[in-house]
Amino acid sequence: MVPTGVSDPALEARDLTVRYGKFTAADSVSVTANSGEILGLLGPNGAGKTSVIRALTTIVPVSAGTARINGHDLSDPTAVRASIGVLPESNGYPGAQTARSYLRFYGELFGLSPREAGIRADRQLGEVGLGDNHNRISTFSRGMRQRLGLARALINDPAVLFLDEPTLGLDPAGQDELLAQLAHNAIENGTCIVLCSHLLDEVERVCDRVAIMHNARIVADGNVDEVITTSGVAASCKLRFALGDVVAAETVLRASVASLRFDETRPGGIEIELATGNGARTDILRLLLDKGIEPRSFDLQGARLSDAFRALTGTGRESTQ
Amino acid sequence: MSAGLAAPAVRRTQGRPNWRVITRRETADLWISSKGLSVLFGFSVALAALSYLAAGNAAINLLDARESVAVVVKTSIGLGTLAALVVSADAISGERERGTLEALLVTPVVRRHVVIGKLLAATTMWVASLLVALPIVLVMADGPGVVADAVAVLFVTGGLVAAALTALGLAVSSIAMSNRVSLAASVTILLVLAAPSQLPAVKASGALGALLIKANPVSAGLAMAENILVKQQAWSDQWPYLISPVVAAVALTAVAIALSGRLALGDSR
Repeated sequence: MVPTGVSDPALEARDLTVRYGKFTAADSVSVTANSGEILGLLGPNGAGKTSVIRALTTIVPVSAGTARINGHDLSDPTAVRASIGVLPESNGYPGAQTARSYLRFYGELFGLSPREAGIRADRQLGEVGLGDNHNRISTFSRGMRQRLGLARALINDPAVLFLDEPTLGLDPAGQDELLAQLAHNAIENGTCIVLCSHLLDEVERVCDRVAIMHNARIVADGNVDEVITTSGVAASCKLRFALGDVVAAETVLRASVASLRFDETRPGGIEIELATGNGARTDILRLLLDKGIEPRSFDLQGARLSDAFRALTGTGRESTQ
Repeated sequence: MSAGLAAPAVRRTQGRPNWRVITRRETADLWISSKGLSVLFGFSVALAALSYLAAGNAAINLLDARESVAVVVKTSIGLGTLAALVVSADAISGERERGTLEALLVTPVVRRHVVIGKLLAATTMWVASLLVALPIVLVMADGPGVVADAVAVLFVTGGLVAAALTALGLAVSSIAMSNRVSLAASVTILLVLAAPSQLPAVKASGALGALLIKANPVSAGLAMAENILVKQQAWSDQWPYLISPVVAAVALTAVAIALSGRLALGDSR
């Protein structure tokens, strides 16, 4: 099979179903992602994300449906594997090897000569900040191992990169660094990235599109705003005004929003419910400023991806942390 | 550089002999890490102790010199096979447990190349055991003048039995869902196969006993060693004892390779 054309999506799954015996782990999952796009695949534990990734990476057989990666059907697993990079959630490492020899090995498995694999390994290690490290992997911290795993997943310049909880165990700075690197890869190399993460803030920050899975099915798919709209979660705002502006602000707001209530604990505090979509908050602000009313604080509540996630999956806050 | 829908920057590896890359890496891992050296150390200590006892007994005429050579050769085959079996039984189930298998399975390497590479790497354990045993066998076989026979039995019979059992260990490893199960099952099978050679009653039980000995690759190999080194029977008369080791080596290797298509992570869901 040969990649078909530039208009084809890098990843396309149609009615993908994965069954383990009688248990259906993924049920008629359809998802598409283009080159250079970062797709967040979200869902509570057991929703079927890992099964979908394992099916798309040819690790587990597909029970029904079809999928194409970089133009290759899953029925040609060798071609699919040559086009992908994968960082599994529970990736292990051979502690006795050095990072360079580890990457060289994988480079050779992807068809590079030992010399080319060495050059590629050095390049990838430099990109993830491990270029000067010649110690055995057993001495690496969790964060260093994650970065090494990312370097390994990128050793073949994959067309589609699958990452399952890539920032797990990283400190905030490490998370930012890794996400910036992913975004760079998507933009510069046109890599399509499928990102599984429970950290919804980071997904909201870097993903062009998200697909939310629940009980083995996709329950929402689109960009963040679209998913929030699908969820039907209303945004609310907590505003605080100078006491002299409260009456005027109330008049403006009552004409524009569905509901309004005063915050009894904070003089000058008003909570309003916004229409769905990020444009609503700017409309409210504009209306107030046009009337010469300047809020002292403006705190957006809800209408975040995490709220949509909870609404769509019926999970509590703790499951998304 | 765009890696988008263009062909991947890395060339297709279909049909390339990736088993060589795997063999090289697995062999390096085996001998760089402490695993290979630890197993070899255990083998060396056990063989040295048993050889010392056999040589001592021969010196005070408790044991015929030829018998002492046979004991050392058979022990080398048994322990060397066990060493290779332990390594091969860990080859896939160990990776599965350490979480390194998934990364390997998502490379474009054909599954059977993974198994062939690991099989050859595990075989280096037998080769290393052979190299340790060889000087001891040479010294002990020199006295009764059976050096050529002893070395030939060690290489031919031992090689076949080791090949069969290494493939068995790998086959078990590829389907066992835990490393402990893989090791326990493999060693149990080896002990069951070796047991008949330790039972005099079976040897003396006539045609059926002889058939059972010949049908079992381990007992056939050990019986052949005894026949050549102790009973001084001709090699040309021993071919019936080679059938089951040859068949087992070929069949179990084929089974291990056939099972490669079913390599799974074991925790799928």
